[in-house]
Amino acid sequence: MGAIRGWLSRWGELFRRGRSESEFSAELETHLQMHVEANLLRGLSPEEARRQALVALGGLEAAKELHRDQRRLPFLDSLPQDLRFALRMLRKNPGFTAVAVLTLALGIGANTAVFSIVYGVLLKPLPFPDSDRLVMISLQGRGVDRGPMGTADFLALAERQRAFTHVAAYTPSTLGFALTGFGVPQMIPGMAVTPEFFAVLDTPPALGRAPRPEEGRPGGELAAVVSDHFWRQFLGADPAAVGRKITLEERSYTVVGVLPPGFRYAQGGEVWPVLQLHPPTERPPYWLIPIGRLRPGVSLAQATGDASRIAAEVQREFPRSEDTLAVAAPMKEMWVGDERPALLLLFGAVGFVLLIAVVNVASLQLSRATARGREMAVRTALGAGRRRLVRQLLTESLLLAATGALLGVAVAYLCVRALALLSPSTLPRMNEIAVSLPVLAFTAGIALVSGVLFGLTPAFQSASPSIGESLKQGTRTSCSRESHRAHNALVAAEFTLALVVLAGAGLLIRTLAKMEAVSPGFNPGRLVTALVALPDARYSKAADVTSFFDRLLDRIQGWPGVESSAIAASLPPNLLQLTNPFHIEGRADRPGQPAPAVPEIPISDGYFRTLGVPLLRGREFSPADRAPGTHALIINENMAGRYFPGEDPIGKRVQTGEYNPKSDFYTIVGVAGNVKYEGLAAEDEPAMYVPFTDSGWCPWFVQSMYVVVRGGTTSAASEALRSSVSSIDRQLPLIRVRAMDELLYDSVADSRFRAGLFASFAGLALVLAATGIYGVVAYSVSQRTQEIAVRMALGAPRGSVFGLVLGLALRLAGAGVGVGVVAALALARLMRSLLFGVSPADPVAFMAAAVLLALVAATAGYVPARRAMNIHPTAALRGE
Amino acid sequence: MGERSDVWQGTLALMILRTLEVMGPLHGYGIARRIEQTSGNRLLINYGTLYPALLKLEQEGYVASEWGASENNRKAKYYRLTRAGRKQAQRETRDWERANTILARFLAPQERP
Repeated sequence: MGAIRGWLSRWGELFRRGRSESEFSAELETHLQMHVEANLLRGLSPEEARRQALVALGGLEAAKELHRDQRRLPFLDSLPQDLRFALRMLRKNPGFTAVAVLTLALGIGANTAVFSIVYGVLLKPLPFPDSDRLVMISLQGRGVDRGPMGTADFLALAERQRAFTHVAAYTPSTLGFALTGFGVPQMIPGMAVTPEFFAVLDTPPALGRAPRPEEGRPGGELAAVVSDHFWRQFLGADPAAVGRKITLEERSYTVVGVLPPGFRYAQGGEVWPVLQLHPPTERPPYWLIPIGRLRPGVSLAQATGDASRIAAEVQREFPRSEDTLAVAAPMKEMWVGDERPALLLLFGAVGFVLLIAVVNVASLQLSRATARGREMAVRTALGAGRRRLVRQLLTESLLLAATGALLGVAVAYLCVRALALLSPSTLPRMNEIAVSLPVLAFTAGIALVSGVLFGLTPAFQSASPSIGESLKQGTRTSCSRESHRAHNALVAAEFTLALVVLAGAGLLIRTLAKMEAVSPGFNPGRLVTALVALPDARYSKAADVTSFFDRLLDRIQGWPGVESSAIAASLPPNLLQLTNPFHIEGRADRPGQPAPAVPEIPISDGYFRTLGVPLLRGREFSPADRAPGTHALIINENMAGRYFPGEDPIGKRVQTGEYNPKSDFYTIVGVAGNVKYEGLAAEDEPAMYVPFTDSGWCPWFVQSMYVVVRGGTTSAASEALRSSVSSIDRQLPLIRVRAMDELLYDSVADSRFRAGLFASFAGLALVLAATGIYGVVAYSVSQRTQEIAVRMALGAPRGSVFGLVLGLALRLAGAGVGVGVVAALALARLMRSLLFGVSPADPVAFMAAAVLLALVAATAGYVPARRAMNIHPTAALRGE
Repeated sequence: MGERSDVWQGTLALMILRTLEVMGPLHGYGIARRIEQTSGNRLLINYGTLYPALLKLEQEGYVASEWGASENNRKAKYYRLTRAGRKQAQRETRDWERANTILARFLAPQERP
C-alpha cells in the first residue's frame, strides 16, 4: 500500500522538473549550517567545522546522488544513454542485427496474424449492444442435437416466454431474394425475419422504424427492412425512402426501415423481409431459427428451462410429435464454437514458431556474449552494478524486439489481407479479422516477453564472471564449455519445437489427402450444377412446377453435347437440404425412441444415370411412377443393409415424415449406391429418394432444385443450362452455376486451409531451425579453429574433421528430433477432432518430419564442415 | 567512537518514525542528532543516507514535510508523522519485538538434547 504510493510518487517526479533538486540543495545547505554551528560551539575552527560536517554527510555530491536515486526512477534516467549505446552496438554488427530483426519479424508477424484471426473470430464480442445476453434457442430431439423450430413452437414461445425481453426468429436463406424492378433481376442476400428481430439485437433502424407486430401476421402489410448499402444502391440514398415499395420474389414489400451502416448479422445481408406466420395445423416443418435477448438477471439455465416448459406444452398440443426439450445457448458460441479447436491449435503451432525464433536470437546473443565479456568486465570494474548491466542488455534486446515487432506488424497486415482472400467462406466472422488495437497490444506483449527472454540469456550464462579472468582473456580463446553446452541445448530445443510443428503439418496434410481420396459415390467428371428457384407467386401449383422442370430437362437434353441431365433437391457432396424420419411397414417403433431422420431427396428420373451412381437392385424412377396414388421410393445401399439385411427390400413399404399411421405408404422400387450428402468425411448413412412429382412433395418442397448436366465442356454445359432456363421463363435467375469438381474441391476447403496454414508454419519453422543450426555449427568451427588445426597437424585426415563437424550437426538435430517425437505424440492427441483417416500417431507423418529435419541439419552443417575440412593447419596455428 | 554500519540502514526507517513519534515535528538534522542520542552515541548515522530514507517515508505517505523556521530562524524543512505513519510505526515495532523474542531463544545458552 505504502509501497504503491511510493512508486507512484517516483513516477510523478518525472513531471516536477528539477524543482526538487534545488529544494533539496537548500535543505542540505541548512543541514550543513546547523552542523557547522554545532561544531563551532564545540570549539572547532571554521574550516575544520565545515570539513567534519561534510565528512559526516558523506560528501555533498554523494548525498545529492543518493537522494536523487530515491526521488526518481534510476532506470528511466539511464534510458536515453542506454538506448544510444544499444543503437550503436546494433549498428556496429549489421549482420547480427539484420538476422535477429528478420527472425523476430517473422515470428512476431506470424503470431500477430494468427492472433488477429483468433481475436476476430473467437474473442471479440459480437457487434451488438450487450451481446453476451443474446442467445439462440433450439429444439432438441429427432437425433439432432440442436435443431430449428417450427411455426407452432415459435409462436408458442413468443407468446408464453418469460425469460427474454424479446424473441424473434429468422429463416436462413442461402439464395437470397429475387429483386425485380431495378433492371435485370438480381438475387439480394438476406433473411426473412419476424418483427421483433431488430429489437432482440437492440439495433433500431437509422431511418424509419422497426417492423410492427401486425406486419408479422397474415393479412397485414408486407414490410421489409433494408441495409444502408441497399438504400444507397437501389433507393438513391433518398431520405424519404421509407414507405417506398420494392418487389421481392414477385411480391410487393414496403420499406419500413433502413439500418445503420455497418450492421451485420452472421453472413451478412442486404434485405430483411418480415415473415408472416400462419397458425399451424402441424408441428413440422422445422424451418425457423429463434433468437432471444435474456432479461437482466436471468441465467442461461433458467432460459433453457423456460423454453423447455413451452416445448413440452407444444408437444402435448401435437401429440404425434416428439420433441419436449429446448436449449438456449449463447449466440457467439453457436456461431464460432466449432472453430475453436482448429483455431487454438493453429495459435499453439505458431506460438511454437515464435519460440524457435526467440531461441534463434538467444543463440545469436550467446555467440556475441563471449565477445562482449570484456565489455561487461570493464563496466563492472568501473562500478556498474549487476542491475545496471542487466538494464543495458535488456535495452538492447527490447530495442531489437521492438524493431522486429514493427516489421512483424507490417508482415502480419499483409498476411491478414492474403488470408481474407484465401480462407474458406465457412469461417465465421471473417469480416471481423483485422490487425486492430487489441491485436497490437498482443504484439507489444509478445515482443516484450521475447525481448526479455533472449535478452537475459547472456545474463544467465555469465553467472559470476570474475572480472580479472575476463579482462585477461584474449578474444581468440575458445569459449567456455558452458557456452558450448548452452548453444547446443538451444539448437536441440529448436529442433524439438520444429518437429512438433512439422509433424502436425504432416498429419493435416495426410488428412486432406485422405479426404480428397474418398469416393463420393458418383462420377464427378464433366458435371455442371446450378440452382433454380421458382417463385411461389407463379409456381404455386404442382402442375406448373412439374411442367417447368419437364420442359427444362427436355430443352437441356436437346442441346448438343449433353449426355444426360436431372434435377434433385439435394446435391452431393455437402448440399443436403432436408431430412425426414421414416417408419417401415410392419415393424413396431421402439417406444420413446425417436425415429432417425435421414436424407430424403426428391429427384427426376434420370438422376442416378446422370450422376453415375450405380443401381444395385430394382430400377430407377419412370413416368409410370407419376400415376395418381402411386408412391415410389428408392433407398440406398446403406439403408438396405441396415434395415433389410439378408432380404430383398424391393416391394416393401415405408412411411416417411412424422409418424402418422394414416400417411401414405411408399413402395421401394430400387436400391442405389451410397452417395455422400453431408461432406466427404461423413460416414455413410441411410438415404431415400422420391420422384419430385410425388404428391407428398410437389409443389411445396420442390420449388428450389439443383439441376445437374453431364456432357461436353463446362462452358458448353453452363450455356445449355442458361439458355434452357431463360427460354422457358425469362425472369428466372440461374444461380450458382458450378462444375461438380469445384463443389468437391470447396467441400474440403476447411481442411485445405488448415493444412495450408500449418504447412506454412512448418516451412517457417524449418527455415528458422536451419539458420539456427547453421549459426551454431559455424560458430563452433570458428571457435575451435586452433583445436582443429592441431588435430590436422597431428595427422588427422581431412575426412575425419568433416565428419566431426557434420556429426555435431546431426547429433544436435537427432537429440532435438528424439525429444520432439515424444512431445509430438503427446500433443497430437489434441488434434484428433481435426484428423480424418489418420491416427494421431501416424508413422508416415512423423517419419517424414524427422527425415526432413535430418536433411536440413545435414545441409546446414555441410558448409561449416567443408570450411573446417579446408583449414590450413600451419596458417591457423601461426595466426594468433 | 561509534560504527557506521550498513546493517542499521534497514532499521533506519523505524528509528525515524519512532523519533518523530516521541519528539513531534523535527528537521533532518534534528532527527539525526536525536537518533544518535537515543542510541547512547553508540551509533553514528551517515547523514547522507538519512535524507533518502526520509524521502522514502514521505513517498510512502508515512511522513509529511513542510518548510518552517528553525530555532535560529533559519528556513528548514520539518518532518512530521502522519496517521498512517503512526500505524506503520506501531506495526513495525511489533514485528521487531516478535523477531527479537524468537532470536533471543537462539542467543541464550541452548540446552543439549
